[in-house]
Amino acid sequence: MENKLKKFNDEVKKSYGNILNLEKNNLKNFIASNIGPIYKSSKPSKEAYLNYEKLGGIIGVDGSVNRKGGASPHYVDFFRALAKSTKKQVEDRIINEIYSPILDKDMKLVLEDDGELENKRNQILSKIEVEVAIDAAKELKPFLIMMDGTFIRYIIDCKSTWEELRDVCEREKILLIGVIEDIKTHIIGSKLLEMGYTDRLSYDRELLFGRLDVGEYIVIEDSDKTRAGQLTSALMRSSNNPNIIGIDIIDTQRGRLSEMVDLIFGLTPENSRGVPIWLDIVDSEVKISHNTMEAYLESYLDSEIYERYFVETRSKR
Amino acid sequence: MKVVGITTQQEVFIGSKDRNFRINEFLIVEDINQGDILGEVIEAHTFNRYIPLDTGRDFVDDSVLESLKALGYAIDEETIYISKVRFLNEANYPVETGSSVRIPKFSEVKDFMLKSDDENGLTLGVIRNTNDMYEDMDTEYKDLVYTFEDGSLIEQREVPYIMDIRSMHQYPHIGVFGGSGSGKSFGLRVVLEEIMKHNVPTIILDPHFEMDFSAKASYLPDEISYENKFVCLQVGKQVGVKFEDLASQDLKNLLDASSHLTDSMNNVIDVLFRNRDSLYSFQNRMNDLTESQELGSVDKILDRINSASNDEERKAWQRKKEVFEKYDKTCSYNSVKGIMWRLKRLENDGVFSKDIKAIEDNMQVGRLVVIQGNTRLLQVFSTYLLNNLYHKRRSYKDALYNKTASEYFPPFIVVTDEAHNFAPKGYDSPAKSILKEISQEGRKYGTFLILATQRPTLLDETITAQLNSKFIFRTVRASDIQTIKEETDLTSEETNRLPYLRTGDVFISSASMGRTIYGRIRAAHTESPHTENPFDELKKKSQEKNINFFEIIKDKLPVMSTDMINLAMEIEREEEIRFTVENLEMKLSEMVEKGYIKKEENFLGQKYSLIEE
Ligand SMILES: Nc1ncnc2c1ncn2[C@@H]1O[C@H](COP(=O)(O)OP(=O)(O)OP(=O)(O)O)[C@@H](O)[C@H]1O
Ligand SMILES: [Mg+2]
Repeated sequence: MENKLKKFNDEVKKSYGNILNLEKNNLKNFIASNIGPIYKSSKPSKEAYLNYEKLGGIIGVDGSVNRKGGASPHYVDFFRALAKSTKKQVEDRIINEIYSPILDKDMKLVLEDDGELENKRNQILSKIEVEVAIDAAKELKPFLIMMDGTFIRYIIDCKSTWEELRDVCEREKILLIGVIEDIKTHIIGSKLLEMGYTDRLSYDRELLFGRLDVGEYIVIEDSDKTRAGQLTSALMRSSNNPNIIGIDIIDTQRGRLSEMVDLIFGLTPENSRGVPIWLDIVDSEVKISHNTMEAYLESYLDSEIYERYFVETRSKR
Repeated sequence: MKVVGITTQQEVFIGSKDRNFRINEFLIVEDINQGDILGEVIEAHTFNRYIPLDTGRDFVDDSVLESLKALGYAIDEETIYISKVRFLNEANYPVETGSSVRIPKFSEVKDFMLKSDDENGLTLGVIRNTNDMYEDMDTEYKDLVYTFEDGSLIEQREVPYIMDIRSMHQYPHIGVFGGSGSGKSFGLRVVLEEIMKHNVPTIILDPHFEMDFSAKASYLPDEISYENKFVCLQVGKQVGVKFEDLASQDLKNLLDASSHLTDSMNNVIDVLFRNRDSLYSFQNRMNDLTESQELGSVDKILDRINSASNDEERKAWQRKKEVFEKYDKTCSYNSVKGIMWRLKRLENDGVFSKDIKAIEDNMQVGRLVVIQGNTRLLQVFSTYLLNNLYHKRRSYKDALYNKTASEYFPPFIVVTDEAHNFAPKGYDSPAKSILKEISQEGRKYGTFLILATQRPTLLDETITAQLNSKFIFRTVRASDIQTIKEETDLTSEETNRLPYLRTGDVFISSASMGRTIYGRIRAAHTESPHTENPFDELKKKSQEKNINFFEIIKDKLPVMSTDMINLAMEIEREEEIRFTVENLEMKLSEMVEKGYIKKEENFLGQKYSLIEE
């Protein structure tokens, strides 16, 4: 094992050598001259927060999915999306959904392949997240809706629902952003490749890892077709963690991007993974515990159905 | 407050956003299908999932929390309170999750807390965590007790704990367990005060000389007196054993309690002791035997008879000869000596100079009789006493049953601290068999035990098993906690708390209640004669001594070390206190050390003098 790992390490070094060795300042220079300026964000004042509260507060949106049962199709997925306001007296908005492949009439998805089921699962999750955001936007009229994840996901998984959300927010003048913990873009990498600095494509997270100072960010104008005209992103180091997070904002609101970056920066604990605390809180609340799920199933399904379809044979032993 | 999570028929979790739970408080779950269900909190937790313990999650800096607060969300308000509640009676079905929960009214829980009232019961303290019910409690239960906590007297704000004394008929015996300083003796004192209130004849064995009820507690505003309700009697001073009343078994018990008897010594008593012997006649007989045994043969005794200088002496040796011929074969010299030595020791303690009449008389008028003496003496005496009293009571009851005449003897309670000394586990001790007998049969005859001990593990297990009610104070020792687990119905949540109980807080596990009550013993009305901290006492004593001595010598200073002998003589003449020169020098240098006087050296020696202002 030790040898295998050492070998792996060496190979990574060989392939990515020039990236790993890239001087922090050289990369910054490259970015400044080929991508865009490097900005420095600053945390909002207390007055700013108080004002945001007055303007309707912030709503965080996140979803979760839990599976109970065994191998396909004998399982049921529990989906839950939550929109939660920082304003104390505002009720949480929740959408629940369940899905089990045994209800797919012709078992088409099941018979095809697991990738399809996986897609279906993502689509349901994305859709209820966007739906709960729409509901929150209409009913609660917050100052800002902060989604957990990139807009791209919603555009791919549930385009029309997503567009409805975007329209509502534009109409109601509600800011809409997405915060991405694991960015998957390769905009700087593409540029490097294109200009012949590297001979392979690198992801932005690899390139930027540890190379921005805390609070620094860059703005990315993308030419990607799916995204064109829809959104603008920032990549930022928001905490002591060297990781970079992404922030998406709809194009019509891009004038507010720097204000949003400041807000995210202010809400992110210094010694955290870099995610604003509000999304962390929504994340921990949206999770359905295993016990709760079990309790639901046992109370609402006939025991015959429950036993036959959803109890793993393993746990029966 | 709402029922949360998974429920069962016996237990539920209850969550609240704003109310912290307290162990042992009562709550009512309002189940829509089953109606109200009464339960008791057995675990209480507070929890804030955003302020996590484990470092796996992000630690949140204050500025972020401040920002959140400005946005309308205060994380510290997210603290939730969770309790585990056990139902007093099992529900028919698991309780509906989400059911509301409320604090009961006093009337709804009264039967679970009070089986008696102040007039008819022992008002021993308060039931902890019942403040919420105080307001709508009937006034007859209010203002009955004070508690004494953290150095101040506190007015009653909780439901009182009143033990039904009449239930002792059914559940006769009480154990009081707890580690050193946990409040046992204080608790016993309160129990005894309450017993005095009811004029129940009671015997208390008090090896520590601490059960005196004449001093009013210094913290108490009200005047409560137990005068005429109790007497303190010391073994060998006011009470003792009447030798003429002893049967040979009593005598053996007595001597054995004093110091273990060998088989051969037991035999000596069987052979030499006669019923109605006086101490004198018995001692004489043994004396005659040992003196003749010291001579060694009938011939040598005959020599003494012949050479006797007067009639009296001759008669005496003749008597000794008879004793020798009769007993020498069966009684070994050493064993007889052993009996004599033991007897002498008890005689010197004064044991045979008095009887137990004073005890019986006081019991007959319903007093508490405190019997004092050192542990060894008390063991000896109590064996005799308890046998005696118990059998009097028994004969009376038996006579009543057989419809024959017998002198009235009242039911009574026997109380002892350090009970493991009187009835130890694993080996025999004289008082053990009578205590065992009372523990097993006392109920029939109206004889009750209250046994306190630091070490329940060391108490005879047959007796422990007969203790129907137990007061359990702070206990730290693992082996004792284990014993308590086995011998009581305390839950593991409760036994886990035992090491952390505050002095005076107690779990009361009683068969008559059918459940465990968490309470606090009330402030005692009286004070032990020596509650003073022994170190304060030492300091005070030596200060007093120093001041007295200073008063004596201050007019005689300065004095040279060469003049010590004159100083000693002078003091002796004037104050009638004797000092050797050596003692006096020591005393003077102690005074120098404590800064009362000063010492100077010059060519003549040392000079002690007053410190000038
Ligand atoms: N209920 C109580 N309220 C107020 N003070 C108390 C209470 N119980 C005990 N104390 C105080 O705590 C101290 C120790 O109590 P106590 O002498 O009863 O301990 P103990 O259990 O008998 O210890 P030991 O086994 O060493 O004799 C005493 O000074 C007493 O004044
Ligand atoms: Mg004590």
